[in-house]
Amino acid sequence: MRRMGQSVVQKIIARAAGRETVEPGEYVTVTPDYTCCQDISWPARKRIMEQAGVTRLAHPEKLVLVVDHTTAAGMGSPYHRNHGEMRDFAEKHGANYFGPGSGLRHQVLVEQGFARPGTLVFSDEPNIASIGVVGALNIAISTEVVVTSVLNENWMVVPRPIRFTLTGRLAEGVHIRDLAQAIIRDYAETDLLSQGCIEYDGEGVAGLSLDERQTLLACTYHAGPDTALMPVDEAALAYTRSRADGRPFEVFEADADAEYAYEASFDLGALEPLVTVPPELHTVSPVGEVAGLRIDQAAIGTCANGRMDDLRAAASILRGRRIARHVTFYVTPGSREIYAQAGREGLLSILAEAGATILAPGCTTCWGYEGVLNDGEVSISTHQMNYHGRNGSRLARAYLASPITVAASALAGAIVDPRGDPALRRDAA
Amino acid sequence: MTISGRVWAFGDNVSADNGIIQYSQVPDLGSFDIPALKAMLFVLLDPDFPQKVGEGDIVVAGRNFGHHSHPHACVAMRESGIRACVVESTDSAFIRKGLNNGLPIVPCPGIMQIAGTGDRLEVDLVSGVARNSKTGEERRFRPYAESMLQVWRLGGLAPALKERVSAAGL
Repeated sequence: MRRMGQSVVQKIIARAAGRETVEPGEYVTVTPDYTCCQDISWPARKRIMEQAGVTRLAHPEKLVLVVDHTTAAGMGSPYHRNHGEMRDFAEKHGANYFGPGSGLRHQVLVEQGFARPGTLVFSDEPNIASIGVVGALNIAISTEVVVTSVLNENWMVVPRPIRFTLTGRLAEGVHIRDLAQAIIRDYAETDLLSQGCIEYDGEGVAGLSLDERQTLLACTYHAGPDTALMPVDEAALAYTRSRADGRPFEVFEADADAEYAYEASFDLGALEPLVTVPPELHTVSPVGEVAGLRIDQAAIGTCANGRMDDLRAAASILRGRRIARHVTFYVTPGSREIYAQAGREGLLSILAEAGATILAPGCTTCWGYEGVLNDGEVSISTHQMNYHGRNGSRLARAYLASPITVAASALAGAIVDPRGDPALRRDAA
Repeated sequence: MTISGRVWAFGDNVSADNGIIQYSQVPDLGSFDIPALKAMLFVLLDPDFPQKVGEGDIVVAGRNFGHHSHPHACVAMRESGIRACVVESTDSAFIRKGLNNGLPIVPCPGIMQIAGTGDRLEVDLVSGVARNSKTGEERRFRPYAESMLQVWRLGGLAPALKERVSAAGL
């Protein structure tokens, strides 16, 4: 029988399944390299383990526990207990624990070298597909993180391989986040990407920084696929080597005759700034159509846009300027490492002097844990969701955009098209 | 083991959070408020649905069923008596959330051609066949793997984990 060409996602899963090849749509049992969990759902996860009578974990060194949802567990909050319970559990079993302020799971996994080319990570969130930047595969399994934590294996569906080819370069004032929102606009209401893994490629990818690639990967799930991957090029490999600390990895490339269930191509140069209009993720408008709408809050951060390039983009707009008086502006670095680097580059002082409030690394405003919106208030942010009630009041409206558009809007006090901002021209010159 | 029941059919793009239920209207996201979840089941598509649905019913739906999901949608269906969802397409996360709550959700291309509201459907997860009891028409789907069938037979993730932990001596 002819051996079917395998895509990268198939090769990663075949390795984890101890098989030569796997077929899209197949249910297979795999052994993950890591399982990653967050804090807010930890008590429920722990309860299931206790009820199942779990006394030890098969491979505690593979479990990565990260406090990212409730970093600031202040007075009156119940979450400080979760922090303590997670820390104690990790200590007792020998699992990895990253406490409040370490950063988002997405970021901790790559910075600490858990995510490496060819590794399979079972996590509790599809947006952790951002680890695909180093060729690591995220499969979101929600509550089943307890199964893989305890038993070191679980079932999964082999995703349908999908190829998205990027060409060209982003124009001034346009951000890779705009492509993410365009893809969600075009695909979220179809099943073209369902049960798929998008493998990005093309010369357009080579022109993107690792930060930009993570933005795209972190948002892709909202368009419908299970997960996504980037090619492991020299930049990704150099990063991996600096983080792997001697731990092994294997770079997989797609076979020349790999078959893709769906293919599409995107010209980065043809993109314009976009704004996602609440309460759906697929209702996306060119920024001009919503420009002028007064905002109460702006926020930059999250697993989509809390990285160095995002903070640099915001700072380049805001350097030496001051946001509108009526706007509250939150900026959340994605990890402690990013926070420190942003400090070294002088970005934190530029943002603070412009009127931003810098929050401790974590999910913060994205799920309404901080920066809660009141009735009738309008926000524009780099958050991942925009349904009514996501950030507080069900009568608030949450618009989503790139960090460039968000920073420019904070400055103006209303949604604006960032193209033509003098700061962008100053930077270009 | 075959699941057999009365069919309720829905169209394409039924979202979990703004279709099966209304996630933004769930009173307490931290726990499952069963009466509230049951009262909002499919009402955006059929206002009387909570009064009509009954024990053993099966949901048939079109493409892209249950996208953007939280587990609340699965709990709402299971607690309202629904025993399986057979759909043209769905996402893997939703299959997991269903199974973990004891509710099998299977992608079965062509199901909308053979089953509509009021029909009776027989669904065999082991052999991967959905069959209209009256017309005898069938559509095939990929059968669940043994580990998934075990979760389903035991009623969800928590009891299945308990069984496996005990077997593995952990």
